[in-house]
Amino acid sequence: MPGASVISETWLWAGWAAAAAPFAAFVLILFLLRRRPGAAAAVSLAAVATSMVFALCLLVCCVDMETPLRSVVTWMISGDTVISAGVHLDGLSLLMLAVVCGICLLVQVYSLGYMAGDPGFARYYAFMSLFAGAMIFLVLAPGLVQLYIFWELVGLSSYLLIGFWFEKFSASRAGKKAFVMTRLGDVAFLAGLLLLLVRGGVMDIAALSNGAAGLSSGMITVSAVLIFGGVIGKSAQFPLMTWLPDAMEGPTPVSALLHSATMVAAGVFLIARMFPFFSQSDAAMTFLLAVGTVSMLMSATMAMVSRDIKQVWAYSTISQLGFMLMALAAGGYFAGVFHLFTHAGFKALLFLCAGMLIHAFHSNDMFVIGQGGARGLKIPMLCMAVGAAALSGIWPFSGFASKEAVLATLVSLENPAWLIAGLAGVFLTAYYTFRLVFIIVFPAGRGQTRAEDPARGVAYAYGAMAWPVILLAFATLVLGFLAAPIRHWLAAGAGAHEAVHGPAWLAPLSLGLVFAAIAVAWVEFGRKNASQTGFVERVRVVAELFARRWYLDDIWGWAVSRLLDRGAAEACRQADNRVIDGFVHSLAGAAVASGRVLARGHRVMIQARLMIMFAVVFGLTCIMLIWG
Amino acid sequence: MTNWTLFAPELFMLAAAGLFFVLSLSRPQPARDYAVARVAAAVGLSLTAWAVGAEGVLFAGTYRVDLFSQVFKVLITTGFFLVICLCAELSGVADKRHSEFYLLLAVCTLALMLLTSCVHLLAIYLALELSSYSLYILVCLRRGREKGLESGLKYFIIGACASALMLFGFALLYGTGLSLHLADLARELPGRIHEPVVLIGFVLGLSGFLFKIAAFPFHFWAPEVYEAAPNQAAAYIATVSKAGGIAVLMRITAAAGAGGDQLVGFLMVVSVASMTLGNLAAIAQQDLKRLLAFSSVAHAGYVMIAILSFNAMGLSSGVFYALSLLVMKLTCFMIVIQVSSGGSNIKINDLAGLHIRAPVLAAALMLALFGLAGIPPTIGFTAKLLVFTAAVESGYLWLVIVAMINVVISLYYYLQVLKAAYFLEPKESAPPVRVPASLNFLALVLIFLTVAAGIYPRPFIAAAQAMTFGIIG
Repeated sequence: MPGASVISETWLWAGWAAAAAPFAAFVLILFLLRRRPGAAAAVSLAAVATSMVFALCLLVCCVDMETPLRSVVTWMISGDTVISAGVHLDGLSLLMLAVVCGICLLVQVYSLGYMAGDPGFARYYAFMSLFAGAMIFLVLAPGLVQLYIFWELVGLSSYLLIGFWFEKFSASRAGKKAFVMTRLGDVAFLAGLLLLLVRGGVMDIAALSNGAAGLSSGMITVSAVLIFGGVIGKSAQFPLMTWLPDAMEGPTPVSALLHSATMVAAGVFLIARMFPFFSQSDAAMTFLLAVGTVSMLMSATMAMVSRDIKQVWAYSTISQLGFMLMALAAGGYFAGVFHLFTHAGFKALLFLCAGMLIHAFHSNDMFVIGQGGARGLKIPMLCMAVGAAALSGIWPFSGFASKEAVLATLVSLENPAWLIAGLAGVFLTAYYTFRLVFIIVFPAGRGQTRAEDPARGVAYAYGAMAWPVILLAFATLVLGFLAAPIRHWLAAGAGAHEAVHGPAWLAPLSLGLVFAAIAVAWVEFGRKNASQTGFVERVRVVAELFARRWYLDDIWGWAVSRLLDRGAAEACRQADNRVIDGFVHSLAGAAVASGRVLARGHRVMIQARLMIMFAVVFGLTCIMLIWG
Repeated sequence: MTNWTLFAPELFMLAAAGLFFVLSLSRPQPARDYAVARVAAAVGLSLTAWAVGAEGVLFAGTYRVDLFSQVFKVLITTGFFLVICLCAELSGVADKRHSEFYLLLAVCTLALMLLTSCVHLLAIYLALELSSYSLYILVCLRRGREKGLESGLKYFIIGACASALMLFGFALLYGTGLSLHLADLARELPGRIHEPVVLIGFVLGLSGFLFKIAAFPFHFWAPEVYEAAPNQAAAYIATVSKAGGIAVLMRITAAAGAGGDQLVGFLMVVSVASMTLGNLAAIAQQDLKRLLAFSSVAHAGYVMIAILSFNAMGLSSGVFYALSLLVMKLTCFMIVIQVSSGGSNIKINDLAGLHIRAPVLAAALMLALFGLAGIPPTIGFTAKLLVFTAAVESGYLWLVIVAMINVVISLYYYLQVLKAAYFLEPKESAPPVRVPASLNFLALVLIFLTVAAGIYPRPFIAAAQAMTFGIIG
């Protein structure tokens, strides 16, 4: 059908264009518009809006197709291995594309208000465009090499954005930490990639998924676990989780982007993308399940004691990502991906609301914000309540639907421990979420008259920040009801048929746990004359353990300083000084000296040169004749 | 019946040369000469590009127009056009000599175009001499004649000796009853290359081309000629004339079939000696043009690797290498020409602080040097990768290892230049670098080419494969 091929050609071009537009904006801003903040923001917004339009068109027109559309150009051929670049359009990548573009667009609009007047305004929008472009190319990647390249580019741009206020020491340190810790995981990822390349010779995801590479099961497990290393770094899972809370040093819109649709989502997206491949190895999936569970519970406990509003949401991101990984590892392709989408919506919402509060009260401390009179700010408070309800999993918000799907997958596992862990996670999530809400809404000493007007200092571009938040809140309300079509679209790609609804007792049980947790939070933080100290904080040792992040940072610090700095690095330095340097120096000296001699040789008289010329030519031919 | 349209680009270049001859008789007007030269070069380039698809045989079978020759002609005229673009301030040459300068450049370009198409040894010899003679005079045109004259004379003497050797070699080949026509030679030579006389004849016959690409032991002219020639002429010698030399060398060696052990052995010695000597001697250079001269010698060695591989991959990688050399060397000379004041020579340290004085040029220089040193993702990296792959395919792994060591050595002096451009503070007395917008644009184009062909070389490789397929008719 020539007509059909023309149409699919058009869609592929749309895919290319959606990915290329933000990159073009990045180059344009960086080279031409660095001193024109207004134009830079306009270009960046126009680019991401273009991507958004293409993404929506693609979503509307192509999501129903049976076979994925691919446009691939050969980038490199080495021996028998062909490495290609291109775009791959199927249900998963199109939905993800729409989510990424949508959130990038909203965050960029929001940033118009939040970043107004910042001296690095143009630079900010350049990096934002780079971030969006890299993520879009990652989402559309048909092969692992392209995915890896843009995976690293996403890491780089997040480093640039986290350390955006680089003159602040803590910010540049947090940027470095994020970069180094995710790189640590990426080393494992690269190793897995090379293993696949060497053993299988195939880098195409579709080919890997249908087993065309002919890998042994042991090889699949090893490479899958190595690739999980990259996911653990990127999605901030145990034990590489502590960079994410520190990444709060970046501007708040950056955090919103980082935590919802881009950076950390890349890890989960990779698992979803290669789901059929990973499913071939039970051992690897069990490993992933364990990592997800540990991270989910551990970070939920950390969130219970933090006073920093952004940090609470950061811990909750780790925890929710753990949920997604659990779902995927348990075989719940739809559940994991759906939770990724709903989470992207409500987590962006929560961060953007937090950003508005921080912008108004100049503090990250939730107690200070509460006492400052945050309940007077109607839009952020209402929207935050919507986001919090979704995060806790209350009907009818989007989090309820996706969390139920996740729990339903866990029910189907033989070992009930996973389900119990999941339910515990639900309880803890609701508890820390409403702890934060109650602290802000019902500050201690609220009977007293407030010294200041709540609307004080809210003379910023309120609209630019309010509209994205309202839209996201609306999306959070609606998305839960779209479970059926999303499931249908995704099923075309993976062919997974898992339960969406668990047994009849599951939803009431999880809702009951949620309301129990809210009740506990109410008793401790919400009611009049509440002590505003949680049950965890009463036990000093546990509170300390949670607040210090289970001492993970200390362990990493010790490992780096003792083992790396003093052990390996020192030994290498010694060896380097004595053996390698000495050798290299003498080699370099010899090269330079012989170069001098040779160069001087070129200043001889013309007769000598001609002699050499003839002698060499005739001598060589004679030698060749005798020798041959 | 001769189809003259096949010959149109060459005819045009001849007409351009005639025009400059007429201009040289009238009163000198540098601005007019420059404008005419630019127009002529642009028309010549578009005419050659238009004639890319042409195929045919002219002049009793001695002149073959095919894809190989046409693409090389495009390379040559492109180089010619770009060198002309750099002639806006031709201060190294006296004003009254400008039209002669363009005349000689045009004649040399014509000769190089002929060279890529000639398939008869005698015709090749004539074209080679024509191009060399115009270059001998070009070198002497340098203002303040003494040094230029001396080097030009040396250039001439060495060239004449190389030509004598080459002619002697051709005579030996003819004497053994071989035809001088390449197509016939390609049929008979592979079977007879082991005969001593044939081997000696063939090896001596290569002398002239080795002289052209400045390979050991015919490289002795390079450092002095580069140093003494006007900067633009040196740029021309380093780029355009190299491309012509590589083209004809590839055609001739392709006639030898699979080579034969002794011939390959000879070429290997030439290759290893060229790159080692070139790279080592370049370390000790202070004058940027001398450094580039020795680097050219080293690159001639890398090109020889492509040629001595005697396989399809080697041929196409040789073409790609010629393209990469053209782009990178031209970029380097653009910086030399723009930084030098009054057409003088510049030392490496004169580049100090270039990234502040002319940021775009500095970036172009950086990428060109990275390319010459073979660092990805530049065109130079891809070119080296292809050449080395070709050598490994033919089983010359040790040769590749030697070349790799050489690449490491070369990194030393390329980075020295880069260090001066990026890490040294500019001297107070350093004259400002004036860069017209058109040159900035040209630099950006060269940067784009360097990177684009490094990241996505497939179309270029495909073109090179198509060109070298059936290189001998």
